[in-house]
Amino acid sequence: MNYSDLTRRYFETARAAGVLSGNRVGRGAAGSRRGGTWVQFDIELEPAPYPERRIAAARFLAFACPHTIAVAAWVAERAVGEVCAAGLPESVHAISRRFEVPAEKLGRLLIVEDAWAAAVAAAKLRVTM
Amino acid sequence: MNGPVYLDYAATTPVDAAVAATMAQCLTIDGAFGNPGSNGHDHGARAHALVEAARAQVAAAVGAVPAELIFTSGATEANNLAIFGVANYYRAQGRHIVTSRTEHKAVLDPYRELERRGWRVSYLVPERSGVVEPAQVLRALEPDTVLVSLMHVNNEIGVIQDIEAVAKICARHGGVRLHVDAAQSVGKCRVDFAALGADLMSVSAHKAYGPKGVGALLVSARRGVQLEPLQFGGGQERGLRSGTLATHQVAGMGAAFALVTADSARFEAERQRIAALQNRLFRGIEAVGEVLRNGDPARCVPQLLNLSFEGVEGESLLAAVRPHLAVSTGSACGSASNEASYVLRALGRDERLAESSLRFSLGRYTTEAEIDRAIDAVTAAVRRLRAIGGA
Repeated sequence: MNYSDLTRRYFETARAAGVLSGNRVGRGAAGSRRGGTWVQFDIELEPAPYPERRIAAARFLAFACPHTIAVAAWVAERAVGEVCAAGLPESVHAISRRFEVPAEKLGRLLIVEDAWAAAVAAAKLRVTM
Repeated sequence: MNGPVYLDYAATTPVDAAVAATMAQCLTIDGAFGNPGSNGHDHGARAHALVEAARAQVAAAVGAVPAELIFTSGATEANNLAIFGVANYYRAQGRHIVTSRTEHKAVLDPYRELERRGWRVSYLVPERSGVVEPAQVLRALEPDTVLVSLMHVNNEIGVIQDIEAVAKICARHGGVRLHVDAAQSVGKCRVDFAALGADLMSVSAHKAYGPKGVGALLVSARRGVQLEPLQFGGGQERGLRSGTLATHQVAGMGAAFALVTADSARFEAERQRIAALQNRLFRGIEAVGEVLRNGDPARCVPQLLNLSFEGVEGESLLAAVRPHLAVSTGSACGSASNEASYVLRALGRDERLAESSLRFSLGRYTTEAEIDRAIDAVTAAVRRLRAIGGA
């Protein structure tokens, strides 16, 4: 399979790969290794009043194809400094076009979206507790 | 060479320079460009002589006699001619066929087509080692079995099947015809068509430093097997494969087969060199941990090494090593479906492990330095992907 330059770049660098810890970190995951795609995000929120809380740091882990790893890496990298929101920065279709993800793999991007939403929910829960 | 290390010799090999030179002599105005079927003039006679010389070279390389050899466009066509040719000729005797689940698609797909046309096909499941036990073949034979097909050397894991034992079983069972796909065999192990006892055997040029686009089907003269042709025209190749022979391809195949088998001492020395490199590759990669070897090493040709990696997604593994290595994956990753290798699945590997497998195939030009680069590339990729995957 051939990959776009953007996909290759984020797959090969994946600077946001890893995990976070601390009492302002929320963790969410979706998919399964057995199913071939599993994604996890850790989101750390800045200590500011809700609902304007912004993302201080984000990390991801992924057992997934290069497209999925690249998209997860991109989501985690560009989230820093943004207001914490359940949705991805762009729609799944827009992201698939940006990374030239084959239509057959759109379901994997939905797993990224689900993992992100779960992490956001967990992070917000942590700061409101 | 600074590009990716080529470890995909089981997919295809580069044409040997001497073979290419032989082929070039058949193309231009001052060469043997004539139609080998045009025996009424010197140009045709010259090409015909080269074709017959190549026929003798190929036959000698695989333990056959020249009259048993039918040139084709490759092993796929040879397999199709053997399978449909036998099935059609003997259809009044029976419509049952035996093969294994780990055959190449060029065998399995013709059988799927025969099933659509009303034949019954028994697909044997090999042991975890990749070996089809001859007793499995015996148990699968039925009164109306007309053909058994088994590959000699498996293209994914390199396991060598015990064709001689299967041939004896077929002979005892009323002379059921035995077809052997030996596309991977020439140059990797000794191939002796007569000693194997098969009725039909497919071979390919481009796996043995010959050109793509040419192969052959061997049809045993001693056992008197009959075929119905699949294509009709000029009646070339004893009427079994009509069409003008490509002299340059055929001459190239003859030269390539002669080169890989002519010198027994050199063949054995090369086999040992490759075995040492394969062992170095396996030991080096194994150190990364949780690496599983596919196929029984005691039954495999040294040129192939198939490994599964725990905790790594298959497509990402191939993408990660791609800048450094030309290898095949355990999954059909040319498609987005990322379908796991049916060969590894048949051996009992689960879907994820079958996908996260790499086939390394070594060849004549593989060096120790390349093996070390391959070890470094695979080790780095597996460690990185396991870290990203949280393993």
